[in-house]
Amino acid sequence: MSDGLAGLRAELLSTPMLAIGLTLAAFLTGSRLFVRLGRPGWCPAVLIAAMMLAATLAITGIDYDDYRAGAGWLMLLLGPATVALGVPLYQQLPRIRELWRPILYTLPPAAMLASLYSVGLAWLLGASPDVLASLAPKSVTAPIAIGITEQLGGVIPLMMGGLLITGVMATAFVGLLSRQLGIRDERILGFVLGVNGHVIGTVRAFEHGATAGAFASLGMSLTGIFSALFLPLAWRLVGL
Amino acid sequence: MSSVRGFLWLVGFLLLGEALVWLLPLPVSPGVVGMLTMTLWLMLRGRVGEDIQAASQPLIAVLAMLIMPGVVGVFFVTDEFAGQWLIIGVALVLGTLLSVATTLWLMQRFMPKADPGE
Repeated sequence: MSDGLAGLRAELLSTPMLAIGLTLAAFLTGSRLFVRLGRPGWCPAVLIAAMMLAATLAITGIDYDDYRAGAGWLMLLLGPATVALGVPLYQQLPRIRELWRPILYTLPPAAMLASLYSVGLAWLLGASPDVLASLAPKSVTAPIAIGITEQLGGVIPLMMGGLLITGVMATAFVGLLSRQLGIRDERILGFVLGVNGHVIGTVRAFEHGATAGAFASLGMSLTGIFSALFLPLAWRLVGL
Repeated sequence: MSSVRGFLWLVGFLLLGEALVWLLPLPVSPGVVGMLTMTLWLMLRGRVGEDIQAASQPLIAVLAMLIMPGVVGVFFVTDEFAGQWLIIGVALVLGTLLSVATTLWLMQRFMPKADPGE
């Protein structure tokens, strides 16, 4: 009986279709559940979907590497999707021109520190080099972060986990600190959410309003570009 | 057909990115170079064509799904980093708190107060 099931599982896994189907199903169910739960800020849709998918793999006894080999076909689309991010970036150019000065002063140190605080802390606490490389792009939007991690020699699943935690924590801390400091400027809140909390922060910013959302997408794309240029160079300089 | 034409544009810019990264050993991923050359191209053209819009909008909408195979992996590498989870957690939470505080401070310092945009 269980031999038969194992045979069926092996047969279905012989093409990438099972992995692709499971991913699509988990994504759709996760998104629906997220809306049903009232869009909780601490638990983004991707997290729900990923947990359901992980549980499904564990229950059906599918090896993660087998799943990953199939789902890799889906991840091929990340390349064109990254190129597609050029469209919103182009659409935000007028805002960049308008406020180029504060952006120029704020973005490079903010994007550098978003990475360096955590990498520095992990280094002080004795983390291994592959962990440091996985934490470095923690505030960078996923498609760009994957490219960075591959170059630095990090572990992609660990980096993704870090990304998720960072997005959730950044959203929480921006809410907390801005209330403490009495900051209500949507442009500032949006930008800070995008720079620190990538996609997850940007989604939260759109809930504040359209201005916050636009500044968050701006902060997110600029942090991504800047980090993609800065982190590999920094890594090469430090000699990791 | 519009989205197919747009997708060909995206693939074309991605391939251009691959070629540039190979030609001028850039330390950046081909996707990022493709995105930047795409932005430059749009600036030269002065508008986003219907085709590119039709292909890029749905792709951006499912970005979260495209990264899921990677995200799921975090549940399966737990043994590999057994001794370091506390470090990773502290670094992420404390590091994010510090960077959020710094960015807020920097932004408040340099953002023109002009229109109280609320």
